[in-house]
Amino acid sequence: MKLYLKLVSALLKTVEPSSDEKKYKKVFYNIMSFIAVFGIMIPMAFLVGVIVYAITSLLIPMDSMQNGIELFIHLVSVFSFVFGLNVIFSVFYFSGDIENLLPLPLKPYQIIGSKFTAALIGESVMEFIIIIAAFAGYIISAGLPFYTWLIAVFGMFTLPVIPLVYCSVICMLIMLLTKAIKNKDTVNKLTGVLTILIITGLAVMVGNSGGFDTEHIAQSIASPSNHLLTVMNCIFPHIQFLVYAMSENSIINLLIYIAINVVCVFLFMLFAQAVYFRTVSGINQSSATNHRSFSLVISSLKEHSASLSYFKKEIKLLFRTPAYFMNCIIINFLWPILLYLVVMLQGQTNFLDNFIYGIQSGDELSVLIFIIAVSALSVLITAANSIASSALTREGKHFAFVKYIPFSYMAQINIKALVSIIISGCGMLIYIIAAGIFLNLGIKFIIFCCIVSFLSVSFVSYFGIFMDSMNPKLIWDDELNALRGNYNIFFNMALAILLEGILCTGAYLLFKFTGVGALMIILIMLVVLMVLNAVCYLLCYKTATKNIDKLSI
Amino acid sequence: MIKFKNVTKTYNNTVKAVNNISLEVKGGEIVGFIGPNGSGKTTTMKLLTGITNADSGKIMVNGYDIRKEPIKAKQSIGYIADSPDMFLRLKGTEFLSLMGDIYHVPLAQRKKVISDLSEKFGLTDVLSSPIMSYSHGMRQKIMVVAALMHNPPVWILDEPMTGLDPKSSYELKNMMREHAKAGNAVFFSTHVLEVAEKLCDRVIIIKKGNILYEGTLDSLESKYENKSLEEIFLELTENETVS
Repeated sequence: MKLYLKLVSALLKTVEPSSDEKKYKKVFYNIMSFIAVFGIMIPMAFLVGVIVYAITSLLIPMDSMQNGIELFIHLVSVFSFVFGLNVIFSVFYFSGDIENLLPLPLKPYQIIGSKFTAALIGESVMEFIIIIAAFAGYIISAGLPFYTWLIAVFGMFTLPVIPLVYCSVICMLIMLLTKAIKNKDTVNKLTGVLTILIITGLAVMVGNSGGFDTEHIAQSIASPSNHLLTVMNCIFPHIQFLVYAMSENSIINLLIYIAINVVCVFLFMLFAQAVYFRTVSGINQSSATNHRSFSLVISSLKEHSASLSYFKKEIKLLFRTPAYFMNCIIINFLWPILLYLVVMLQGQTNFLDNFIYGIQSGDELSVLIFIIAVSALSVLITAANSIASSALTREGKHFAFVKYIPFSYMAQINIKALVSIIISGCGMLIYIIAAGIFLNLGIKFIIFCCIVSFLSVSFVSYFGIFMDSMNPKLIWDDELNALRGNYNIFFNMALAILLEGILCTGAYLLFKFTGVGALMIILIMLVVLMVLNAVCYLLCYKTATKNIDKLSI
Repeated sequence: MIKFKNVTKTYNNTVKAVNNISLEVKGGEIVGFIGPNGSGKTTTMKLLTGITNADSGKIMVNGYDIRKEPIKAKQSIGYIADSPDMFLRLKGTEFLSLMGDIYHVPLAQRKKVISDLSEKFGLTDVLSSPIMSYSHGMRQKIMVVAALMHNPPVWILDEPMTGLDPKSSYELKNMMREHAKAGNAVFFSTHVLEVAEKLCDRVIIIKKGNILYEGTLDSLESKYENKSLEEIFLELTENETVS
């Protein structure tokens, strides 16, 4: 047990930020943590709690109060499974510590057990918060006694276990059954494709399942012939027992829940003991490609400007590194799936009809809301893909390259920002054009939306690089570690959303409570976005370059 | 070509990695930088290349102050870091093209250097493969090609022989000699005393950020009669008494 705890603690240290920060950086981190907690986590948790509270209230008269929370936890478990696949693959098979752990006199289950626990703790913080918020909504709505909270807290920490056990077993099975997959890049790309397929499948399922009408949802959930719940209870059988344990204060149900977890973990450990060493040995990251003739290689050499060459380097590394490809590139193009969801919901419930009619007929409020949405989404996409906010972090151990080449820091920052602008902008462009076709918007309006989007993407890109320059996480053993557990990315997202939130709320309130017209407000928004761009550019020019100059590894 | 004047570098306000050192490497010279682990060799290299900034003192590279004219100073340097694990997902040619473009190497010169050095180092078959698939030695060799592409007046190498096979090591030593012969400065750090003995015009011995000895190995050996270079080095770095 002591060994297990020591291993977990050592593995967790690789995803924690370094502790030898200077004092001002610690203060900065504390401020950022405060903004992140109060700006994102608490509002999100509150929203989850309110939704579960509302659904439970509707279900109580239908005598099915636990169905809502049950389905919600199933949904959280599915997400945990989907996003856990890539993490587990990386942690079990491709992290840098494997070469150090394998020669030690450790049994497979000890390595896997500690790696699993470290991944569970490292990856599930947000999940813990969402689960406890959902339970809070449920307990308050159902009026359950105070000691139910004890079961809820226990559930919060244990519910993510089984989805990650599933991920682990699937990863090991894939590694066991497929010899050709022992190449890291192939594995990562395959899990990426699998993730997209599952997300698309979920979107199609939700899109086809009905509208956004809460009454309809409640009736569907309460229905005794709810196939979705039946299927989900077969996949995650433990959830219903925890919910029953809470609803009926049943110790037996709680014991069954614990027993299912223990049996799953035990079987998983047995499986790991049997197959892990067989599957982990002989893994390589990349193999040599086709050999072109040397004369052909030399004759194909071309001369470019330093900027173009640096830009191509950035793009190639983003697209060729599976962790970056999944988390920085693919994430931009998942938005069309969301667009599909909106279209499906619109087709079935017509909840957007008034809004669409408003835009098409030039209604000021509708147009303003659309512009606000374009700007907000642009900010969200750019912050979420973390291309800018991990631009320096991704340099990692060869950060020195940024410093010793004869290429100014600002030129490098500009190129890194351009990469973020182009990739985020491409995602947004697809989104705007699709919305334009779907809503039958005029070409001038679409171009105007693109300008708003560009200004929003651009300021977040420069802002992200500025944030990353404050304290980039340069020590990581594999690329996924550069992104996960990187608080800079989270802080950048929190601050960018906060700034955009102030801008959008200000614009809306200005329209609602003053006599200023929508056109004037949109122009004010444009000016504010331009000022934000100028400020962020100057921050990079004046401060980020100095930060880079001070940094060394 | 390289001048350090009273340069000091402290980490976390406590550890003096480089303590008020002054040194000079002239054009046409090969100077070896020798010292035990943690003596300040890599920090000195990093100060010279602009990777780390000095707390005080002045560093000149090819007549340019590394702080005041960093781009011109860096353009004069060919640097080989202690770890060649860089841009592993780029192909060899892509990496060399990137370096060629950043250092503004004309296409004809680029083709000639890549062609000559690749043949010398046995890289011809792997240039179109990702660097990730290279062995440590191969990675080190491609870094050498990249560093020499722009024919730098100052060549800085941090532990360059690590991981090289005997043939490549021999080739690299010859290249260092040729580069110095052409009037350029070659400054390299090493643990291997035999390499320093055979290659260097002068050596600089450093320990805990202080320069203990600067001069030729012959003159050092003459101070310690009947002692091998290894024994002299150990005595020097343990006692810190010789100047």
